[in-house]
Amino acid sequence: MQKVTDNIFLLVLFAMIGTFILASSFIFFFLRYQRKIALQKAAMQKAEVEYSSQLLNATLLSQEEERKRIGRDLHDDVGASLSNLKMIMAQTIETDDAKLKYKPLIDNIIGTVRTISHSLSPPGLELFGLDYSLHELADNFNVAQTLNVRFENNIGTAVDELNKQTALALFRVVQELLSNTVKHAGAKNVLIQFYKENETLILKYKDDGKGMPSSQHNNYGMGMKNIEARLKMIHAFFEIETSPNNGFDIKIKIAK
Amino acid sequence: MTWKTFNSVIVPLFILLPIILGAIKFKILPSSIKLVWYYLIVSAIINTSATIIGRVFHTNNLPLIHLYTILEGLLLISFYAQILSTSSNVKKFRFLQILFVLICISNALFFQSIYIYCSYTRPIVIIIIMILSINYFAKIFAESLDSQLPFIPIFYFNVGIFLYYSGAFMLSVFSNFTLADSNSETDYYIIWGFHAILNLIMYLIFSIGFILCKK
Repeated sequence: MQKVTDNIFLLVLFAMIGTFILASSFIFFFLRYQRKIALQKAAMQKAEVEYSSQLLNATLLSQEEERKRIGRDLHDDVGASLSNLKMIMAQTIETDDAKLKYKPLIDNIIGTVRTISHSLSPPGLELFGLDYSLHELADNFNVAQTLNVRFENNIGTAVDELNKQTALALFRVVQELLSNTVKHAGAKNVLIQFYKENETLILKYKDDGKGMPSSQHNNYGMGMKNIEARLKMIHAFFEIETSPNNGFDIKIKIAK
Repeated sequence: MTWKTFNSVIVPLFILLPIILGAIKFKILPSSIKLVWYYLIVSAIINTSATIIGRVFHTNNLPLIHLYTILEGLLLISFYAQILSTSSNVKKFRFLQILFVLICISNALFFQSIYIYCSYTRPIVIIIIMILSINYFAKIFAESLDSQLPFIPIFYFNVGIFLYYSGAFMLSVFSNFTLADSNSETDYYIIWGFHAILNLIMYLIFSIGFILCKK
């Protein structure tokens, strides 16, 4: 039998280096594989976010189209029919007493149809721009005396230079905020302001209502979720400042 | 600098780095990482004692490695019990610890005297630790912690343990052969030098782990 003359130290050293390399390779490939999976996961998440964002955009756009169609139909068909009805009744009904009864009723219906059709599809927005539409919206509340709404535009024509999608989204957001204020805040005064902060366009909305506790900040209702979705669609960021009895304040930073 | 100085002075001193970092953050360390810190303290105390007994009193210091093996096994199994155990398998870790202590005592009483290197129980503890370490890799792989991985302190402690014990395994198995065949002192110091390098790597990786520990 051949005598073994191998150096035991060398063999042990080789074995130690070998197992160490094996262990290091295991960790290296583990980390590499883990990283690859992480990148794939991140890419999938990004694709999902993009898809849901596109879906949201499509939903909001089709919602706007539908509102526009309903608003136009209400205005053109129902509104016109009511006007015809009013004319026919004026010609056929002879007694002043009867005229006094139906005329205010029909005028009221015509007014309501017009208001609904305008709120569904604000005609001023496309014709005269966001500045005009927000002034009109504020006036409507002031006339109805539900709220004292003050609208201040400190950036002049820049408001009307916003693209159509952004303008419509901001208009809807203000509409929703006003509706929230009326429904929940019990406020008397609202201030809507456009101004610039370090070249960033800001839309600020502030009411003097009862505010909302901090525990509810992340637990928005449907209205606030709509606002969030619309602002996300135009890549705008928002900050809310509110606490019980200190009103509600939202600052929207509009992306150029 | 000789291999002797490197093995018996430089690397043993290096253990102070993770010990100090761990001591600074001791209050915020999770209980599992505290166990690793205790393991470092035990290593430092036993290593220093072994050096004093061997070099100053010229007495056989191998009983200490028997004691160290038991303490090392208990602490590291407890560490893995903390990070791996679920309510259903916590008893298995306790059983493993008791079984390991019984094996060490039996080995010292019936197979390898406490005055010779315990080359049976050291590979056993290393195999147990490596299995537990691979289990931890499997666990984080299943949990897909992905991008957070470079910031998880326990991951570093596991990597340090896995690298050190995988490299040191062969030395533990063949340690008595190398002692019996120690004609060349240089060869002897070279393999223990490589062992010291493994220790150094473990201490550095542990230090990163301690640095990453946050409230």
